[in-house]
Amino acid sequence: MLLLKENKRNKRLFFTILLLVLSMVVAGCGKSANSSSETGNTGQNATAAAENKAGKTLTLLYHFKSGSLDPHNDYIVLKAGVVETLVRMDDKLELQPWLASKWESVDDSTWRFTIREGVTFHSGAKLDAAAVKASLERGIGVNKALDTTLKIASMKAEGQELTITTTEPLPAFPSELVNPYSGIIDVAAEKTMGTEAFNKAPVGTGPFQIKGFTPNMEINLARYDSYWDGAALLEEIKFKFNEDGNVRALALQAKEADLAFQLPAEMVDVIKQDQNLKIESLAGLRAHFLLYNQQQPALKDVLVRQALDLLIDRESMAKDVMLGNASAANGPFNANLPFGSQEAVQPLDTEKAKQLLEQAGYAQGSSGKLEKDGKPLTLEVITYKGRPELPLIAQLLQSDAAKIGVTLTIKTVENVDTYLRDNNDWNLATYSNLTAPRGDGGFFLNSAFIVGGSLNPANISNDELSAIIAQLNATGDVAERVKLTQAAAAVIKAQALHSYAVYPNIIVGMNKKVTGWTPGPEEYYLVTNKMDVS
Amino acid sequence: MLQLIKKRLIQLVFVLFILSLVIFILMKLAPGDPVLTLLHADEMSITQADEAALREELGFDQPVLVQYGKWMLGLIRLDLGTSYLKGRPVLDELLDKLPATIQLTASGLAVMVAIALPLGLIASRYPNRWPDHVSRILALVGASIPSFWMGLLLIYLFSLKLGWLPTSGKGSFAHMILPSITLGFAMAAVYARLLRSGLLDSLSQDYIKAARARGLAERRILMGHALRAALLPVITVFGVSFGNLLAGSVVIETLFAWPGLGSLALEAIFERDYPIIQGYVLATGLFVVVVNLLVDLSYSLLDPRIRLGKGASS
Repeated sequence: MLLLKENKRNKRLFFTILLLVLSMVVAGCGKSANSSSETGNTGQNATAAAENKAGKTLTLLYHFKSGSLDPHNDYIVLKAGVVETLVRMDDKLELQPWLASKWESVDDSTWRFTIREGVTFHSGAKLDAAAVKASLERGIGVNKALDTTLKIASMKAEGQELTITTTEPLPAFPSELVNPYSGIIDVAAEKTMGTEAFNKAPVGTGPFQIKGFTPNMEINLARYDSYWDGAALLEEIKFKFNEDGNVRALALQAKEADLAFQLPAEMVDVIKQDQNLKIESLAGLRAHFLLYNQQQPALKDVLVRQALDLLIDRESMAKDVMLGNASAANGPFNANLPFGSQEAVQPLDTEKAKQLLEQAGYAQGSSGKLEKDGKPLTLEVITYKGRPELPLIAQLLQSDAAKIGVTLTIKTVENVDTYLRDNNDWNLATYSNLTAPRGDGGFFLNSAFIVGGSLNPANISNDELSAIIAQLNATGDVAERVKLTQAAAAVIKAQALHSYAVYPNIIVGMNKKVTGWTPGPEEYYLVTNKMDVS
Repeated sequence: MLQLIKKRLIQLVFVLFILSLVIFILMKLAPGDPVLTLLHADEMSITQADEAALREELGFDQPVLVQYGKWMLGLIRLDLGTSYLKGRPVLDELLDKLPATIQLTASGLAVMVAIALPLGLIASRYPNRWPDHVSRILALVGASIPSFWMGLLLIYLFSLKLGWLPTSGKGSFAHMILPSITLGFAMAAVYARLLRSGLLDSLSQDYIKAARARGLAERRILMGHALRAALLPVITVFGVSFGNLLAGSVVIETLFAWPGLGSLALEAIFERDYPIIQGYVLATGLFVVVVNLLVDLSYSLLDPRIRLGKGASS
């Protein structure tokens, strides 16, 4: 009896579980079936609709996905034209007023910003200094990095006047406000919506507002009719994500996307063959470069670093490794930047490199390798696969160094930042970074050449350079900053503290029907009110 | 059977505990942490002192076991923690991604069954004749083509050349076709071969001969008797590789911009978002154990000779 009961119970349990699993599968299928009937139509009519609504919508394919639209932790919100910052950059990377119509420095650490009149949030609320203050407070509250860089001590809002006091003199403060994480949002709207909902549909002042958001997949943008700078020409924008470069290229070719960002260099020629498509390849704000570990005896010698600098075949790196989608570098900052170096690019010069090394005390040994005190010059280059061209750059350097008897061994690591900090036995490293993310060199110089900076794993310290950077940090005048930045670059070059190889290009594929839009080197303002389709 | 379930549930607790401990320690031993990403060190002026301060704030300076203990204490209160990089509860992140993963897995499985079943049946019906050879070649092709390439080829053909299907994204039935085929095709290869050998094996059994002697239709023998027994190894392999299926779709998720668990986990591993990694490992572990339990339970349905919960066979 008992056994029977147990058996029965077992059976029931088994079937319950079976039912559960089945229902899960059915739910999965049911969901897909449902959405198929509902969106299957949209799929079929997609092309027809696109034709009917020509001039109204545009599809953009971006290379990094976003799982959240928190405007102070995800720059995609600014890139999608939903929020705007107080200050922006123009295509020459010079600062321009945006939500702030003007600003002035009251004293060393006090700034007065005049907030633009006639700007409204998507919620209809008017933009004034108090709203900006609330937004900046939220920003530094939720984004630690923003807090660290803005160094705001206090803010005072009166009408359209916002006075900001910083904890220390920050002459480049307005350029820090270009930061895409400092977008101005309607904090009052966040209070009514709740943070979770707000981070899916943030309310800003931009030309487009969020109509729908599927995390990691797409943002649907709708025109904001009361945009202060004139309502957008497009009615809707589909801002989609796909992290696979080949698929982005295929989607552009299939006319599913009108704009596709960061296409693989090897797809460029294929896309150019399509007469409806074109490629924009322009210099960005990034540089690929070599780090020298000056804690190592061989690299302490400036002659050795200079020799290695001469062994970099920059032209070949730009032409062969980067397939022409890069330009040879002559310093940390792209020559197109106002403060970029105008000097000629250093060509490969193995003879001179050898001379320098001989000057440094190295001589050709019996094996044909350069030796000093009986020890051959063998250096280890650290590289990583995060940017596939970096290992290739290391290999090219290796082969050119071998020609004069310098042995380079290449080591690929997974997490380059941690490796370089935790180990002290590396000699060289390939690296890549934005050197002027907000159109100013201050960030890079401070991070990479001051002891304790986050991009200075080898603790590079050069008194002359440190003095220039200190002066730069205390200078607000733009012309003066340009001069100081150039002077800093000259010291870096003379002392071979880093060796800059190439500036990789930003490669954007676009359908020729897109008008009123060109990519900018800053990669911030992807969606504008001026963009249109013909 | 009830005992089996009880036993498995107790096992589950141990499996998950050991799994989470090992993964936690391994992740902590691996170089790197999320601090640089959190501070946006690649575009904002951050000092190493700022990094150290954040590291301390997040408790990364404490011994690994203390950190694990803290995580465990949260888990006991059913709190999986909060993602460092997304600032949201881990459970919410996982639940957000789960439906997409189940949908892809289920549709991939459907494609797999649709391909593997006929291929396996035909191959076993005509062993070592041309249908078997064709099935073998197909299986070889399916097993050897990497899924990212297969996916790209499918996109090239169906989206670009024919213009029938969207390249990527999620939402409509059309969006599901290419990822499901990419996932299902690679799996089908293995299962078709498994099914073939299973069928050949069961077709040579005495009870099949008996069935034939009773004059049953060949079709009924194949579908009713032989297939049931042949499914045993197939289901066993399926149970073991289910975890792979959940995680192994990363490539497909990336290619088709499919917002599933695989790419969430991969991203978390790269960025060292420990709470997400731990949550993901627990979820996968749970799934694998439950699926294997179901697999074990299904044995008695498929083969009446197997009785669970009685004697040695449990």
